[in-house]
Amino acid sequence: MAMARPQLAQTEDEEEARLDLIFHALANRTRRAMLRRLAKGPAMVTELAAPFDMSLPSASKNLKVLEKAGLVDRSVSGRIHRCALDPDSLRDADAWLDFYRGFWVGSLESLARYVEEDETPDSDPASRKNRSKKK
Amino acid sequence: MSTNPEPVEQQPGSLTLFVRRRIKASPERLFEAWTTPDQFVQWWGPPGVACPGAEMDLRVGGSYRIGNRMPDGIEVWIGGTFERISPPSELVFSWKMEHVDAEPERVTVRFEGSGTETEVVVFHERLADEAARVQHEAGWVGCLDGLVSFLCG
Repeated sequence: MAMARPQLAQTEDEEEARLDLIFHALANRTRRAMLRRLAKGPAMVTELAAPFDMSLPSASKNLKVLEKAGLVDRSVSGRIHRCALDPDSLRDADAWLDFYRGFWVGSLESLARYVEEDETPDSDPASRKNRSKKK
Repeated sequence: MSTNPEPVEQQPGSLTLFVRRRIKASPERLFEAWTTPDQFVQWWGPPGVACPGAEMDLRVGGSYRIGNRMPDGIEVWIGGTFERISPPSELVFSWKMEHVDAEPERVTVRFEGSGTETEVVVFHERLADEAARVQHEAGWVGCLDGLVSFLCG
């Protein structure tokens, strides 16, 4: 497990600003549903709008928020607007979660070992103290 | 996550991780192991990480520091202040790696149970800033990790 905090590619300020955009983009049910749809593969704007009974301008507006956050790429070929997921933006949040999930799961495991050995009536305090808890 | 226990006072827009584990000990015993530095240094950290020292001023507003010696020998210190202390069931404290220039995060630890078995629940929040918070809809807090796994998994 990586123990250093994930390296940030940008300055903290830029990173925070980027996260603001991402969290704002994700704080909307329709946009999350659009991302789930795009997770299955690229789609045209009309395809993304259809399940939500949504006008094209409205779908386009939501896509712009997702684009601005760097979550979605839009390519234009003639009159066809094609959208695809760009998961890079989620990697920082994902790295944070992965790092601390490992950290806390491991720490609670260590805590359990410490107090549960403590509760064992016939455990020898001296050997417990000397035994390395970190294998 | 849909399986979240009742939420702590999470702020909309924050990214929240929660981890829990059932441990065969009373909440009182666990609270003591967490809040007594002599005991804390003996268990803190995942495998491979040692705890070279811990200081705790166990009162609301009091500060704490936790040393973490990584497998490569580098020491990382985490620090913050206690925001809520409710023995033996809850501890809330801010959380910041001292070498990182970032906003403090927040950790809530709950000891839920009685007698001989306790569920230890840890919520770790990466708080969104005020502007982002206002914009965010309530209701999706805690879902991001599920969504991230879904999208990136």
